[in-house]
Amino acid sequence: MRTRVVIPNLVLIALVHAPGRGAAADPFVEVCETVNAKTVKIFGAGGFSRLNNFGTGILVSPDGHILTIASQMLDTSDLVVHLYDGRRMRAEVVVVEPELDAALIRIKVEGKKPDEPTGLELPFFDFAEAARRPHATPGDWILGFSNQFEIALRDEPVSAQRGVIAAYTKLSGRQGVFDFPYTGDVYVVDAITNNPGAGGGPLTDRKGGLLGLIGREIRNTQTDTWLNYAIPVGAKVTVTIRVKEKNKEEEKTLNLNLPDFVSQAIQGKYRAYNRVKPPPGEGGWTGIVFVPNILARTPAYVEDVIPASPAAKAGLKPDDLISFVDGEPVVSIASFQEYLRSRTRAGTMIRLEVRRGEALQTIEMTLGVPPVRPIPVAPPVKKP
Amino acid sequence: MTRCAVLSWLATFALAALVAPPPARGDEGKDVNAANERAMKAAAAAVAPMVVKIETAGGLEVVGGGKKAGPAGPPTPGVARGTGPTTGLVVDADGFVITSSFNFANKPTDIFVTVPGRPTRLVAKVVATDQTRMLTLLKIDAHGLPVPIAYPKATVQVGQWALALGRTLDPNTDHPASISAGIISATNRLWGKGLQTDAKVSPANYGGPLVALDGRVFGVLVPAAPRAEGEAAGFEWYDSGIGFAIPLEDVFAKLPQLKTGANLRRGLLGITPQSPDVYTAQPVIGAIQPDSAAERAGVKVGDTILVIDGKQVPNFSAVQHILGPKYEGDVVKLKVRRGEKEIEFSSISLLGTSTTFVNAFLGLLPLRDDPTPGVQIRFVYPKSPAEAAGLKEGDRITQIGRADTKILVPVRNRQELSTALAQLSPGTEIRIEVKRKEGGKVETVTAKLTTIPDTIPEKLPLPSSAGKAMESPPKGKGPVIPAPAPAPKKDGLPKEKSSITTTEHVLFQDDPFAPKKDDKKEKVETGFLTRSDDVVGREYWVYVPDNYDANVSHGMIVWFHAAGQGGKDGEKMARTFRAFCEDYHFILMGPKAQNAQGWVPSETEVVMQDVKRVLGQYTVDRTRVVAHGMGNGGQMAFYVGFNVRDVFRGVATVGSVLGTAPKENVANQPLGFFIAVGDKDPLLKDVQASKAALDERRFPVVYRELKEFGKEYLDEKTFAELLNWFDSLDRI
Repeated sequence: MRTRVVIPNLVLIALVHAPGRGAAADPFVEVCETVNAKTVKIFGAGGFSRLNNFGTGILVSPDGHILTIASQMLDTSDLVVHLYDGRRMRAEVVVVEPELDAALIRIKVEGKKPDEPTGLELPFFDFAEAARRPHATPGDWILGFSNQFEIALRDEPVSAQRGVIAAYTKLSGRQGVFDFPYTGDVYVVDAITNNPGAGGGPLTDRKGGLLGLIGREIRNTQTDTWLNYAIPVGAKVTVTIRVKEKNKEEEKTLNLNLPDFVSQAIQGKYRAYNRVKPPPGEGGWTGIVFVPNILARTPAYVEDVIPASPAAKAGLKPDDLISFVDGEPVVSIASFQEYLRSRTRAGTMIRLEVRRGEALQTIEMTLGVPPVRPIPVAPPVKKP
Repeated sequence: MTRCAVLSWLATFALAALVAPPPARGDEGKDVNAANERAMKAAAAAVAPMVVKIETAGGLEVVGGGKKAGPAGPPTPGVARGTGPTTGLVVDADGFVITSSFNFANKPTDIFVTVPGRPTRLVAKVVATDQTRMLTLLKIDAHGLPVPIAYPKATVQVGQWALALGRTLDPNTDHPASISAGIISATNRLWGKGLQTDAKVSPANYGGPLVALDGRVFGVLVPAAPRAEGEAAGFEWYDSGIGFAIPLEDVFAKLPQLKTGANLRRGLLGITPQSPDVYTAQPVIGAIQPDSAAERAGVKVGDTILVIDGKQVPNFSAVQHILGPKYEGDVVKLKVRRGEKEIEFSSISLLGTSTTFVNAFLGLLPLRDDPTPGVQIRFVYPKSPAEAAGLKEGDRITQIGRADTKILVPVRNRQELSTALAQLSPGTEIRIEVKRKEGGKVETVTAKLTTIPDTIPEKLPLPSSAGKAMESPPKGKGPVIPAPAPAPKKDGLPKEKSSITTTEHVLFQDDPFAPKKDDKKEKVETGFLTRSDDVVGREYWVYVPDNYDANVSHGMIVWFHAAGQGGKDGEKMARTFRAFCEDYHFILMGPKAQNAQGWVPSETEVVMQDVKRVLGQYTVDRTRVVAHGMGNGGQMAFYVGFNVRDVFRGVATVGSVLGTAPKENVANQPLGFFIAVGDKDPLLKDVQASKAALDERRFPVVYRELKEFGKEYLDEKTFAELLNWFDSLDRI
């Protein structure tokens, strides 16, 4: 009799006091608590100029593997993390993948070898499970967590922010004057999440499900405003890199993605390539002669077309305005030439949308090799 | 035992009933946010098909400010325009799209529009611009487009959810529009023209809709600021939680006019308040622009506005709230009090531009700080009306009047004289009663006022001050220059342009220029002083000449340093100006920009706190407060000059471009310009354009091009001219 009564009794208490009550009062409360337990503060190199020596990371294994962004801050042998409960631990970098802007580090426990389990049993995000969910869409509510501005003290939870997904789109940002290396999709959010030290913090849905990793402070090249973005858990990029192996340089096309990076890096199997900076390419040749480029943004009007060039074969005419190349807007002659230089080579097929009169025409052309230019004859040097 | 357990079971049940949520219905019952999230996405999805993407080609890199001074030069307070697409909102099924003028502020050569669900880009043409709301109407060749439903303006409430939609972030128009979620922060902002929201508004959604949870559209997102004008005004507030939208209802109301290709301008009455305090002082008219709507209707200087369009107006701010949203051609009803009478104007049709006010010039400098009634002449400009009339240094002007009335009224001090002339236009003939220095004979002479010349006297005589600033100048009810009897006219009809001016000119009511009286004899700080305010983290320097005397009113030069020079150039400037400050009684001060990149317009308010603190501490002649700057600092000088009209009387710049369109010249807040630029300065053309823009508004401008100069400060000759210009700002 006693048992029969007591059991429903316990069930009821569980129903009333556990997730149910907190969630109904304010569902974010419990989510913030749970996510914070899986978030760490990272301290490393920097602290001068505009380079911060603090950042944020997320636990992706019970054993103390932490995922964060590939920041300059990791470039030290003296890496320290502060856990949610205030524990201060040393850490070391396992592997970095700049193309995904991701890095995996691992907590070091005294007396344990690097390949030994740490025995920590920490709360963590199941990264593979998060990556299997469909990506969030504009309007979905989000929470962001980070050690921005180093506000949180050692045993304090990091700062939580609320917002919505503004867009799921390709990143077009720049850091200083340089284009940003990561070219994959990102979540853009309407909360001001990307602050100093925020990079590597978790972006979650309103129930605490991991969506991505808060990125850096960069400017959006489309609007010239600061961008608030996160690299999604399912981030994918296809990159062509030059690698050096056994003193031989070769080009490789790689399909990289964040879930593989995380699972392989945790197992110590992720292979980082020894990269070589590619020589500046010349780009493909169109045979278009543009109007004199005198303004900051001279529109890409065709002045003339070199006979028998790819442009001539494709049917471009004087006075055509090159408006879009492969769907991207051509704001000026300079931006078109930059596109050719950085994205094409001889043999690349490009699709142009050309304004002729009041309509846009689509023109495709296969780029050629620039004709060999005659070497200019040097004027005789006058000797004093 | 059992009983006990049962009791405890019951107790738990009761507790559960108290705290348990209402019966759960799926996700919604457990999570109060689920329904909100779903409603937001549904509302955004309902409007997204009407949100188009706009792409442009050509145009400028920087808008709303100057260009970069070469690749290595400092950026200006302008706005670098991104290269991404912008957003528009369909407002008519037959291919009309409304968007923010910001999106075209860089003057692109070509515009393309992509409509969601339609595969091709369309060439767009600009139809017309609403210059009051900074909206632009585009036309594309498309039909059968979906049109949003406007949320009735009157029912919008603060606190309602509001979603800002845009097309910049994701180039694919078949994807959902980008969303930022917030609430309505305020209604009736921007002098009644806009709604305010805390959703993130930025170039990523300017031109896009602000959407209510029911899928109706509150308005069109624009950058805006209550105290600035132009396409890029308010941009600096992007993503700050301060965003604005123009009610869609208002857009629809003006659509028929815009479709005809008519640019819409602000409707102006043509009045300026007498008191700079627009919040508590009664709305007494201080000046009326010649040939403005107010003048045509017969409104007069000194009238107190009581009611506009049936609404009581206790102060000038209330007047602005009613007139702010008005367009050219709109009709207003006005009731004023004139003396003991109340006069009603039943229909005043507002004009689009007021005839620009032009300052009249007699051609003399008055002796300052002189409590003796009348105005002693310190200097007579060569070839001026004053010289032609035979006025001489040392003569004392005692009375003045229009030549066509034969009536003279006394002028007691220089402020009264300048206020009197501010109401007259160039070409007016005046009679002046003068007591000669030689012999003390009293004579009456005639002079015909001209415009202010762009020449500067080579040498100005000293002393400039009688040194009695602390003695109270004679006061009383200001004199009125009687005007000729008005020509008979029909009631209610606007006066013909050819008819004679009938405005009575109240010369002087209270002396706004009078130096602050301070009876306390306390020792004031002089020399080069650095001051800081730890609370707001600001610092500035001020140089007060060692011969400072509270009995001499001092001019003030506010130096806006070039980008990156903050604070470092203070002592150098003080050394450069030292002799001048001592001889001609000037105080020099230098506020400091908050970032190394240079000044931003939003710093105006904090800078003015510093300026006003110095103004309050010393005897400062309000007719000679000048904003002076170089490069980016000069651009800031232009900005504060135009935006703090009650303080600054002059702006002097070196190699600086006017960032925003110049504002109107106003009678009782004169503003003069001294613009210098090196002929090797890459910004030369832009500086010339700035000068032309000021000329167009008929501001007095002195312009000097320095031979073989790039980005240096002034040569010796021009510097000497600048100093004399500073000292002659109280010219009459």
